[in-house]
Amino acid sequence: MSDLGLVLAVAAITYATRLAFLVRPKQVPEGPLGRFLEVFPLALFVVIATSGLAAPSGEPAITPTLAAALGGVAGAILFRRNLWGVLGVGAIFFYSTRALVG
Amino acid sequence: MLDSASFRKGLRDSVVILFAVGAFGLAFGVLAVDAGFSPWLATVSSVLIVSGAAQFTMIGLLSGGAVPILLAATGLGLRHLPMSATLAAVIGPQPLARRLRLAWVLVDETFGLSVRAVAAGVDDIVAYKSAADLMLYSGWVAGTVIGAWFGGSIDPEAVGVGVMLPLLFLGLAAPMIQRRRDWVVAASAVAAALLATLVLPPAWQITGAATLASLVGIGFGE
Repeated sequence: MSDLGLVLAVAAITYATRLAFLVRPKQVPEGPLGRFLEVFPLALFVVIATSGLAAPSGEPAITPTLAAALGGVAGAILFRRNLWGVLGVGAIFFYSTRALVG
Repeated sequence: MLDSASFRKGLRDSVVILFAVGAFGLAFGVLAVDAGFSPWLATVSSVLIVSGAAQFTMIGLLSGGAVPILLAATGLGLRHLPMSATLAAVIGPQPLARRLRLAWVLVDETFGLSVRAVAAGVDDIVAYKSAADLMLYSGWVAGTVIGAWFGGSIDPEAVGVGVMLPLLFLGLAAPMIQRRRDWVVAASAVAAALLATLVLPPAWQITGAATLASLVGIGFGE
């Protein structure tokens, strides 16, 4: 498969998964599926944050990104869960730690 | 729609995404050309795929042939299914063209902002998400163009761009943790994410860990 063909195939797969429930209007799911959909976004965001901050190279490791995680949590507490507070304090912790330990 | 308060709020709220995703797009452009893509193909992939996870995986596995890449893209894409269902429920009946457009940029970042906007009571979530999509798409494609065509001397890792997206998701998750069940889901997600790095192939880690943590949340009840 050519590189262009590969790009088109990945684009098709990605778009198909995004479109799955949007292609036809549906009612709000109820029961277990509805409850699953209620909690899934939070689980997804925490998983992405944890993977990127506690295991940035694919497995758990002690790196300056852990300091960013601590800073992000501190920012959430200090700035009442404000997005910019999390980003700002997390970034400060990350760059400070990296400057100190390399 | 373009002059609505919800659209303007979407633009304001997603400024952070414009820059964070732009930096990642730049990193992708640099790495894609480094992996053997022409600058044109790197740009086309960002225009068509609009998925950092799928695109970084694609260039990472490029030397292994098409099959592992397509399997990985499928694994990564599975997390879009519940996102798609949630968004469909939130926006209600809409014209087909609009649903096709909203699906095009159904990515973690704009989905996260939209979920937060729904909880915050934003009136027109379609306008809000359209604005966030526009910012993300602009940042992603522009970043890729700069990285692919002019980024030969840039080392994205050296400036630490990798930390901003996970921090963004931490920031999106924080206000969603309100009830006891949310704490259980968040704690389960941390544990599942770490466990997944040890037992699952990379392409399935995020989908698998998020699904496991969600099931724990359902089991916990309200």
